[in-house]
Amino acid sequence: MSDIRMVESGQMGRVAYGRIAPNEDLVQSVEKLCMAQGFRNAFVRGALGSLTDACLAKSDGSCIVIRGPAAEIVSLAGEVRSQPDGSLQAALTGVVVDTDGHVYGGPFVAGANPVCVTFEVTLEEWLPEAHA
Amino acid sequence: MQLETKMPDHLSGLPRPRTIVHPGTYGAVRMEHMQSYRGRHFRLSLPQGRSLYESIVEALAEVDVHNASMTLLDGDLDALSFCLARPDATGRTVAAYTAPEVVGSARFIFGNATLGKSPAGTPVIHCHAVFRTAAGDVRGGHVLTDKAIVGASPVRVVATSLDGFDLRISFDEETRMPLLRPQSEDQHV
Repeated sequence: MSDIRMVESGQMGRVAYGRIAPNEDLVQSVEKLCMAQGFRNAFVRGALGSLTDACLAKSDGSCIVIRGPAAEIVSLAGEVRSQPDGSLQAALTGVVVDTDGHVYGGPFVAGANPVCVTFEVTLEEWLPEAHA
Repeated sequence: MQLETKMPDHLSGLPRPRTIVHPGTYGAVRMEHMQSYRGRHFRLSLPQGRSLYESIVEALAEVDVHNASMTLLDGDLDALSFCLARPDATGRTVAAYTAPEVVGSARFIFGNATLGKSPAGTPVIHCHAVFRTAAGDVRGGHVLTDKAIVGASPVRVVATSLDGFDLRISFDEETRMPLLRPQSEDQHV
């Protein structure tokens, strides 16, 4: 059995709110919001809105598609991390409701979740302490 | 060696995203965003017998919070009405909310919400949530917070203030819908 590992320590910084327009990709928009605000790392603190269709990853590499419009995002959690090559990468997972109110959940596939009407997201900057 | 130059229609296993066409003029700005130097965080416990809207607005106004991002956590509701977003049969918009569906009592599971202001400056809460009906069905949608009445077990809220700017509802030319958007505090009309 492996040991519990403390990955990182740090503190919260600035807070940003963004409103994403239609046809923009959910995951990449969150990355661009970080870039626009000058955040290198962030946590998603609140998010709601609608997708034209939602695409959630399954563990076998395939995905679940929830057809809209609109598939509504009712909850979303995740983080944005700066990568060794300097790029930003968001990992977002959440709960989506279809046009009949049925509920689905999972990780959002980057590039496959276009915003339908609007998407509101609040990010809190994460300031990791330098490694000892 | 010959390079493959033809772009595939879609990556294997992934759907091709649809680009939908809204009825209005395509907006030049694709992301409207603002920041606060630091968020203030609050935990609320919403009492029985009052609406989510009433309790949240009152509690946050007392600490001078008028714009916030919130996570709503588990509790009982004695009354709940919600809407779903479906294709707009009139064609006026791409998607429109259905007439409210009245659920009655339900277990609120969790939700996310934004506190902002109407064009006239009155508080508005945009809330999407998941709940379990008395029949045991887990459903979700756009919850009408003024018609969601807290029951025996209080709903808890974690609120992060958005200070230094306003979230205001204004008419969006592209989607032809009223939407919450960030704007500087001195932009009030």
